[in-house]
Amino acid sequence: MMNDSVIVWVHGDALSPTNPALEEFPGAPAVFVWDDALLRRYGTSLKRIVFMYECLLEMPVTLLRGDVAAQVIAFAQAHDAARVVTTDSPSPHFESILTRIEQVYPVEVIVPDELIDDDVHLDLGSFSRYWRTAQKYAFGRGGD
Amino acid sequence: MTLSPAMRRDFADRDDLIAYLKAEFPDAARTDAHVSETRGGRRAALERLAVINPERYAATRNRLDGAVTRLSPYIRHGVVTLAEVRDHALRRVKRYQAEKFVNELAWRDYWQRVYRQRGDGIWDDQADYKTGFTRQKYADSLPKDIEAGETGLACIDGFAHELHETGYLHNHVRMWMAAYIVHWRRVKWQAGARWFLKHLLDGDPASNNLSWQWVASTFSSKPYFMNRENIERNTNGVYCRKCPLYGGCDFEGSYEALERRLFPHKPPSER
Repeated sequence: MMNDSVIVWVHGDALSPTNPALEEFPGAPAVFVWDDALLRRYGTSLKRIVFMYECLLEMPVTLLRGDVAAQVIAFAQAHDAARVVTTDSPSPHFESILTRIEQVYPVEVIVPDELIDDDVHLDLGSFSRYWRTAQKYAFGRGGD
Repeated sequence: MTLSPAMRRDFADRDDLIAYLKAEFPDAARTDAHVSETRGGRRAALERLAVINPERYAATRNRLDGAVTRLSPYIRHGVVTLAEVRDHALRRVKRYQAEKFVNELAWRDYWQRVYRQRGDGIWDDQADYKTGFTRQKYADSLPKDIEAGETGLACIDGFAHELHETGYLHNHVRMWMAAYIVHWRRVKWQAGARWFLKHLLDGDPASNNLSWQWVASTFSSKPYFMNRENIERNTNGVYCRKCPLYGGCDFEGSYEALERRLFPHKPPSER
């Protein structure tokens, strides 16, 4: 697959150079967008921004700000991309941005490594009900 | 659609970066301009990961000087994954020595799964308070003296300053702060949760809000609270020793006495 037709959208749940979308498409243009509206809504303090910025400086990523979906789409257009690749997040805000990007570009969402394989059915009614099943899988292949 | 101008990536040093971000994000600096000593980035995360001690963690994690990992900001932002931290722990110690450590990692996994299921519903009470009070009896906003660190309680004020200055609180401290705000001051958990999310480097709506709800009893079977003896023991008494209210503070007393005082309308059968 040609890397030059893809851009990677990096978001705040995957601020690592080992982000699986970056690893799958090394050299592809990548972008992170500071979500000004979200920062205002949460009243995020400076130290959180500094921490995230330091993470981003270790990553091969262009830093933009503003409306996330609009900026990702503009970045894809500027790079003549055919599609967008990103990593999964449980956040409903991520879902809504994703939906807007998908109106313009196909988006591939890569699921980062999880503690427990996603095909295991877990009862989320309480932690103890969850753990009754989860403990059989949570130790992965590294346990004795 | 137009691209915004790219933000800078070249900085002489950390001070240069901080000055740039203060200018670029003036609202964030107005909220609080402190910068944490905890540095972002994969390199810093791997340095922390290299020195974890899962066995000592299990024995000491409730104490403020316990062998906690301080990995939470990195986990929250995906700088390291839970699977990576787990695999690293299991390379260092036997499985039985890592049981508690992995169990605590699983709490984060659990909260994330609940978030996926309930979305922004995690901002709503998942059930009624089990304190004998309806939600209408709780205030909507955080009292100013708590945020300013001026309650007069040396521990609570110290924790508020630590939150603002470092963006970190030990998990036990988070539980005490939440219990103080919700049960002693009778404030809705959402007000405290919003305050924490402004400042915690690991602030994540799922872990944060659902843990507040666990303390409040809107996502657990009973309210969590502590007494002075618990705080004194787990802090090595550093706050109690300098507290002008020592011996007569709000947290003084047995759990039974505090429960009667905090939740007078709770039926005795539920105590």
